[in-house]
Amino acid sequence: MTTTIGITCSDGVVLAADKRASKGFFVGSKAVNKLFMLDEATAVAIAGQMSDAEYLVNLAKAERRLISLRRGYPLNVHESARLISNIVYNGMKSYNPFYVELVVAGVDAEGPHVYTADMSGAITSEPFMASGSGSPLAYGVMEQGFRQGLNLDAGKRLAEQAVRAAMERDPGSGNGVDVLAVANDAWREVA
Amino acid sequence: MAMEAQGGRMPFFYSPEGRLLQVDYALQAVNRGSTTIGLKTKDFAVLSSHVKPTRNLLEPAEKVFVVDEHVGATGSGYIGDVNSLVDEIRVQAQRHRLVYDIPIDVGSLARHLGQYLHNFTLYTVRPFGASLILAGIDPLGVQLLQIDPSGTTFRGNGFAIGAGSDEALEVLTKGYREDLRLQDAIALNTKAIESLNGGGTAIEHGVITRDTKKFVHQNNGKAPKPPASRTN
Repeated sequence: MTTTIGITCSDGVVLAADKRASKGFFVGSKAVNKLFMLDEATAVAIAGQMSDAEYLVNLAKAERRLISLRRGYPLNVHESARLISNIVYNGMKSYNPFYVELVVAGVDAEGPHVYTADMSGAITSEPFMASGSGSPLAYGVMEQGFRQGLNLDAGKRLAEQAVRAAMERDPGSGNGVDVLAVANDAWREVA
Repeated sequence: MAMEAQGGRMPFFYSPEGRLLQVDYALQAVNRGSTTIGLKTKDFAVLSSHVKPTRNLLEPAEKVFVVDEHVGATGSGYIGDVNSLVDEIRVQAQRHRLVYDIPIDVGSLARHLGQYLHNFTLYTVRPFGASLILAGIDPLGVQLLQIDPSGTTFRGNGFAIGAGSDEALEVLTKGYREDLRLQDAIALNTKAIESLNGGGTAIEHGVITRDTKKFVHQNNGKAPKPPASRTN
């Protein structure tokens, strides 16, 4: 269920998600927040089992804090995505899988990045990505609307448009859109 | 045999005087360490440590540590032991966040460290040759605690450990006032350390105030910069 998307822009990165939590054919909640900040420069959008996803986000936060305290500088986006995928992969291989699909997005010294991590522990990165049951619909909108060098404002509009399109036809998504933008200079605050 | 060399006793048993020799030795190791100070008022806490040795071509070792956003630590004794104790409480602070969703209170952190250290006084292992001073803020206010190799924890407004700690504590006791301002407290700590080691010595400070609730290095304010470019 769920529709989440991440879009890289010229001056940052955008995450968006719907607000529905499904319990089978029932709308369990109409006001769920699926976007989380790992720090000021890195964020994740969650889809799948809420409990697994929230636990994973908290675990990733704790591990990231420890790593940056020990080595003196924070994890970049690729490192964060790989950290999460390693946790998920270990879960799958020990027959305790995390039922999640995440979009990890953020900015670092190299600029904005979007990754998706699935429950097998695979990570992939593209300029814009979607996950959750509404992702095929959202991809349709983004394939039409995305262009290289999009600014953050245009990226936010495209993100909301894509999630709203998915909400129209995907019964697992609905009840409003959350949008979160991280500007490129956020990296300077954490580094 | 080793038994005879220890007067027929295992080294972690009590001596006839009722002392734990290994723990006494660990305390002596702390007293050989660099002078390290913790000071607090109701508004802030300062940790200061004399950094040695310094010379050209050598980067001074980190002596004041961020444990979690709201807690800092410094220590005296064997640096390797200090580092591994700091790591133990850093992990404990994150474990607490995972379980309870809130930052750990400084007392619980000190109690965990005390229990961890105490375990090493019971068996045939070397107790840690390091004492730590923790400073932080929690719902009970500004906190300052010292933890010794035996696992003993002390609460108070001022602590000094390491070489010349008695003299440093004397300077602190004379100069301490409850309405001390932050800059005066840093100056007092500096004076206490310099009175033993002479002026111009490298001293690292860490500060937490009730307004910001964040423990930061005073000298450079932030952790070392990352390398300019990294490849994955």
